[in-house]
Amino acid sequence: MAQVIINRLKKTFPPPTKDGDPVVAIGDISLEVEGNVFVSIVGPSGCGKSTLLNILSGVETPTSGTVSVTEGGRAAHLGYVFQDARLLPWRTVMDNMLYVRDDGDAGETKATRYLDMVGLSHTHDMFPGQLSGGMQQRVGIARAFSVEPDLLLMDEPFSHLDAITARSLRDHLQELWSATRKTVLFVTHDVVEAVQLSDRIIVLAPGGRIFDDISIDLPHPRRATDPKVATLQAEILGRFEEMHPAPATA
Amino acid sequence: MTAAPVALPEAPAPQGGLRRWLSSPIGAQVTAAVVFIGAWQLLTVIAPRVPGPADVANFLFVEITGGSHGGIVRGQFFEHFAVTLQRFLLGLFFGFVSGLLVGILIGSSTLARALLNDTVLVLLTMPAFVWAFLTTMWFGITWQAPVLTVAFSAFPFVAINVAQGVRAIAPELRNMSTAFEVGRWKQFRHLTVPAVAGYIFAGLRFAIIIGWNGILLSEWFSGQAGVGFRTRYWFDANRYRGFVGWVIVFIVFIVLVDRVLLNRLQARAFRWRDQKEVDFIEIQEEQVGL
Ligand SMILES: Nc1ncnc2c1ncn2[C@@H]1O[C@H](COP(=O)(O)OP(=O)(O)OP(=O)(O)O)[C@@H](O)[C@H]1O
Ligand SMILES: [Mg+2]
Repeated sequence: MAQVIINRLKKTFPPPTKDGDPVVAIGDISLEVEGNVFVSIVGPSGCGKSTLLNILSGVETPTSGTVSVTEGGRAAHLGYVFQDARLLPWRTVMDNMLYVRDDGDAGETKATRYLDMVGLSHTHDMFPGQLSGGMQQRVGIARAFSVEPDLLLMDEPFSHLDAITARSLRDHLQELWSATRKTVLFVTHDVVEAVQLSDRIIVLAPGGRIFDDISIDLPHPRRATDPKVATLQAEILGRFEEMHPAPATA
Repeated sequence: MTAAPVALPEAPAPQGGLRRWLSSPIGAQVTAAVVFIGAWQLLTVIAPRVPGPADVANFLFVEITGGSHGGIVRGQFFEHFAVTLQRFLLGLFFGFVSGLLVGILIGSSTLARALLNDTVLVLLTMPAFVWAFLTTMWFGITWQAPVLTVAFSAFPFVAINVAQGVRAIAPELRNMSTAFEVGRWKQFRHLTVPAVAGYIFAGLRFAIIIGWNGILLSEWFSGQAGVGFRTRYWFDANRYRGFVGWVIVFIVFIVLVDRVLLNRLQARAFRWRDQKEVDFIEIQEEQVGL
């Protein structure tokens, strides 16, 4: 169970054209997440969700402000599921799983277990190009879980998938999460998905600011068809709509 | 009264045998070789000073086996060939490894690119004979001259290609590796090298061809042994069949290396991308009996 502290974080990218303005990806975000919680980050496209995860994972550096991701005083161990699978096309599924681990045979046992969990144990020796997009995404999910991270970052992991595959993977994810109970930051722009999965929903507004911070107190695992879940979904969708009349002040 | 049989929509089986063989990869190669030898023979009729295929074959037989000694005394062939091969491999090794390292540097750091890119481009435009002359001036008639000629002529081709490949690596995969804290060496082995493999092969292929030309030149000018030296030896002795014979050895070697060794390595490296292609090459190799 990791501790994430984000303090007055800002991130701007250089202007895309010569005399344009710099792009503000994250305006000003302060946030704390601690313990075995499943936190969703919701918001319209371009409001800095991926950028936030990239900063947390050390892929991007903040323009100003600080982030710290720790686990009992040391730097936390991360897993990351990207919007696309991001597998090495020239390595087999198993070698892709082992690529992110440092232990030889022990790693293979673990990797096998997590591949099993996403129903892909038969693909060990296949190359990513031989798998469907959904299968590749599942390998990406198994890979992130297999490093047994303190903090799991997930960036719209199901957005490229068809509704049926996405639904079954959501159920999988809930199972995996109940079994392992790590801290999860889950980016999505699907409010319905967020309500089904999370204990807490952070709503971002365009310009990279926190618009709302909602707690959800329902037991896990939740079924998408559960009336309580459905009611909450409707209510939060309503709140979400309030955001749009407000002009984007990016 | 024999009605012409209605052509069935079948494969054109009857005339198939010869034709199919001719259009198969091996058939085409054999045909090309036969045509080439025929044209060569014809050339000797027009220009009598040109040694014919039979002459040259005879020469090579003697050069390889020692000829009239009936194979008891070995010819000069293997000695000279081995000397050249050693120098070539050594030079290629230095040229390739340094090209790889410099290429990765140029491809991954803007500073290295600013410092080294132009130098490598200048080297790229240097013809091999310049290196052959320069190294002979520096080292005299020694083994270093041909080795360095190969290394210098191979180096820029590898470096330029590799640099291009490194710059083409998908940043998403790099970011993935960073996020999962994959070590540098592991990234180099499993991300950089395979991503750049195609460019490495292109560079290696050029390096081999350019380097092999370079060594012939270098040995021609400064050798006391080797393929280039032996070619010149026969040339100076006015024995043109010796000259042509060695030129053929030179060409056959490079073609074999390119066709067999490089294609094989390439097929292995790109197993992930196209399984069918590998199968095809393997079948071809089985047919040739390699
Ligand atoms: N590497 C980059 N260089 C320049 N601009 C960038 C870069 N990465 C992101 N941006 C800009 O920052 C803003 C936020 O991008 P980000 O990818 O974080 O959005 P997002 O919330 O993840 O959107 P989506 O839901 O579409 O994935 C966008 O305007 C984008 O153009
Ligand atoms: Mg995104």
